[in-house]
Amino acid sequence: MSTKSYDEILSEFEEITNHYNRKDQYFDILYDSVSTTTIAKTPSSEDFSINLKKSGVVARTFLGSWKEVATDLSSDINVIKQRIPKLTNKGAAIAEFKGWKLNKEIKPKIDPSNISIDDKIKKVRDIFNYIKKSDERIINVQVKYMELLIERIFVNNEGCRLRQVIPRTRVGIFPIAKEGSVVDYDYFIKTGEIGFEIFDLIDNGVLDTTVKNSLEMLEAKLPPSGRKTIILDPQMAGLIAHESFGHGLEADQVLRGRSYLKQHLHKQVASEISTIYDTPSLDKKLGSYFFDDEGIKAGNNVLVENGILKNYIYDRRSASELKATPQGNGRRESFAHPINVRMSNTYFGSGDYDLNEMISEVSDGVMLVHGYFGMEDPLGGGMQCTSKKAYLIENGEKTKILKATALSGDVLELLKNIDAVSKDALRLDGGTCGKGSEDMVPVTSGGSYLRAKNALVSQG
Amino acid sequence: MSSEKLDLIEKVLKSKNIEEYEIYLVERAIFETIFLKNKTENEREISDFEYFIRTLNQKENQTGIGVVKGNSLDPLQIERIIDTSLLLSRNNSSSKYYFPGNAQIPSIKTADKKVLNDPLAIKKDLAEELIGEASSQDEASTTFGRFRIHINNSFLRNCNDLNLNAQKTFFFVEFALKAKADGKLSEFWDNGYYKEKEHLKFNERISNWARRAKDTLRAEIPKAESSAVVIFSPSVLKYALTPVIGLHSIGKAHTEKISQFNIGDKVASDNISLIDDGLLEGGLSSNSWDSEGNPQQITEVLKNGLFQNRLYDQKYAILDGVQSTGNAKRAESGTVVNGISNFKIPPGDISLEEMISNIKEGYYIEQFSWLHPDEMSGNFGAEIRNGYYIKNGEFQNPIKLGNVSGNVLEMVKNCMYISKEREFNENTLFPYMVFKNLTVSS
Repeated sequence: MSTKSYDEILSEFEEITNHYNRKDQYFDILYDSVSTTTIAKTPSSEDFSINLKKSGVVARTFLGSWKEVATDLSSDINVIKQRIPKLTNKGAAIAEFKGWKLNKEIKPKIDPSNISIDDKIKKVRDIFNYIKKSDERIINVQVKYMELLIERIFVNNEGCRLRQVIPRTRVGIFPIAKEGSVVDYDYFIKTGEIGFEIFDLIDNGVLDTTVKNSLEMLEAKLPPSGRKTIILDPQMAGLIAHESFGHGLEADQVLRGRSYLKQHLHKQVASEISTIYDTPSLDKKLGSYFFDDEGIKAGNNVLVENGILKNYIYDRRSASELKATPQGNGRRESFAHPINVRMSNTYFGSGDYDLNEMISEVSDGVMLVHGYFGMEDPLGGGMQCTSKKAYLIENGEKTKILKATALSGDVLELLKNIDAVSKDALRLDGGTCGKGSEDMVPVTSGGSYLRAKNALVSQG
Repeated sequence: MSSEKLDLIEKVLKSKNIEEYEIYLVERAIFETIFLKNKTENEREISDFEYFIRTLNQKENQTGIGVVKGNSLDPLQIERIIDTSLLLSRNNSSSKYYFPGNAQIPSIKTADKKVLNDPLAIKKDLAEELIGEASSQDEASTTFGRFRIHINNSFLRNCNDLNLNAQKTFFFVEFALKAKADGKLSEFWDNGYYKEKEHLKFNERISNWARRAKDTLRAEIPKAESSAVVIFSPSVLKYALTPVIGLHSIGKAHTEKISQFNIGDKVASDNISLIDDGLLEGGLSSNSWDSEGNPQQITEVLKNGLFQNRLYDQKYAILDGVQSTGNAKRAESGTVVNGISNFKIPPGDISLEEMISNIKEGYYIEQFSWLHPDEMSGNFGAEIRNGYYIKNGEFQNPIKLGNVSGNVLEMVKNCMYISKEREFNENTLFPYMVFKNLTVSS
């Protein structure tokens, strides 16, 4: 836990950074600290834990490849000067981006640090007890509250002097239902760059719906297998935008020769009614920030416009190599993790269809609801996205509820088969995303409702 | 240095007359090389440490547990951490709990001395060997890779005079090889932790990955089958069995009434036995002691398909009136959770080759996109990333895309064969296994 002020950290960082001349080499240094409070309750346990500002520093230089040193703050950070070599004439090895200054804190409506731990615990217990008593078929309830306060200070030898403080909160509610031998559940998760006001968004109506959704799963049947017309809710649309499509646009995959989308730049990759964005500068979303972990200002990246692939997603290195303008997508999980090209808030733009109209036009289909998980295939362009549940659509109406349903096949085929996008307001849901199996960062994904023909569904 | 850190923290605890406390301290060193194609892209060195303080507040029929994490050694900050833990323990209402005392702790080797002595030199040699092997493949080229050495030093002290330490070394490899022909691309992409240097076997592993990448170039979408016979590789079984059998075997699931396993129940085929082995040589989760200081041990979970024993940490052992089986894991937040250590399945009596030759029509799955079964129900469905269609006892053609689905709890009741060959995958030592009555969609 660092007790140093911003000015003290800045001054130390400037002193170290001045050691490295930009003409000779690129150098940057990042301070990362995170404070968390976690309150989790299940029928047999209450787990309360607090992380009091765990912090560390990572510094790096570029000498044709990166050299990086990360340390917690128990050691003297001047060790960085000993371990990061001083070079000559390597400054042009990576493109220069204009330095800038920022010192910004997001102030939540209700700052969790002003709320007593007793009140936080009470909120979790109240939700737990409300759900537990709601129906005798609810045999188990799990409620988890988590608040984070993340501070990042970034200095480089291009003139960046940046600080951001971002609060993030998350509430997860899992009522587990049982009837006879059938045990199943649905769940509710709320996240955002918000404070304790997150609980204002979880009233009894939300809890009742969450219970109803879990109980409904007791009736769920296995989904059909085969090619169907599908409707995706905003969470499933987001999973496609992020997992199946977006990962293939990460420009490090392009440099690796590992993107199925490399050959499609400026070509049609989706139906004309499809537009897809990645926007770290959105207000108060879980995947939002002011600058990335390389000091690049958060922007708005139009990835697909009217079905045409317009852009990749860049970090500093890939933007330099591909002579592009980065939009702030170089991210670290923490000081102990490397920079990777990462998405932020990734979503489909809205269309002009009415959802009921979309459903009414389907005679035999499946509506996939509540995006559960997905996996990327950046080289192959394959798709595996699974919804927690689905509904059969028969003769223009939603009928039976179905268990977890997987959507697989070729992602570009699916995108080109989109024939309707709903006019509903955009909905973005938060989660964490890994690069492969690790390096988790907070993101959101979403959109509105999509309809596509001839998609492969099966049990998920 | 580590004992000085512990002494410092314990001194502050004692100065505040805290009666029931525990300090869990971890020091980590990581050395990593990241490759872009066959060139080094990033050389990383990370040193990190953190500690968790747990304090208990005994109440009439309950115990309040406070957990706080930090990485400051400033006495004032340590005091703040302790005060916060006390505050949490006053508000917390957990079932009756106490810290373990001294017990017979088994002695096992979990660190490689050569790695401890010169991790940078070992990393350099192994990274060169890895990229050298990959570069020598005619059939496939590297797109990216990561190779890491981890050194973890863990320490646990509590108010019952428990004073434990452990050193662990292990490796991480993530690698993708790409094959190309006639404008088509395919890859084999794998990642995982390896406990021992001997498990890396780059020579064998890279050739195998390159062959699979090349084979996938001619992969076909599998034929749909509603009652398919499927061979799962050891790495696929890790993702299939560990979360589901693990959940239903732990004491917490029993207490919370979500386990479908009762002692003595027939839950799997006669040919399946499964052991939780906390002392397994080469197992990633092997250690002398678990995350609250109880000795890790070997516990028979399934014997000839019958459920034998639950896996307990201290809390759920107290609730069930039994002894802990050394199955406490430390969550990132510092709280202790009930989980598995290493799962192993004894070898079967036929070879993989014989297994394939016994199948008239079926599928071999080397890798799914992501196999993520629902832990509670056991339901799963996953897209095939690398596999083969088997016809008349032979691999007919590679397969990709399509989906295999089923239910893990039902699947283990339909196991036809278990291979003699076994492989380590992180905290599992599993053979190849053949299951019937699965669904393949395409």
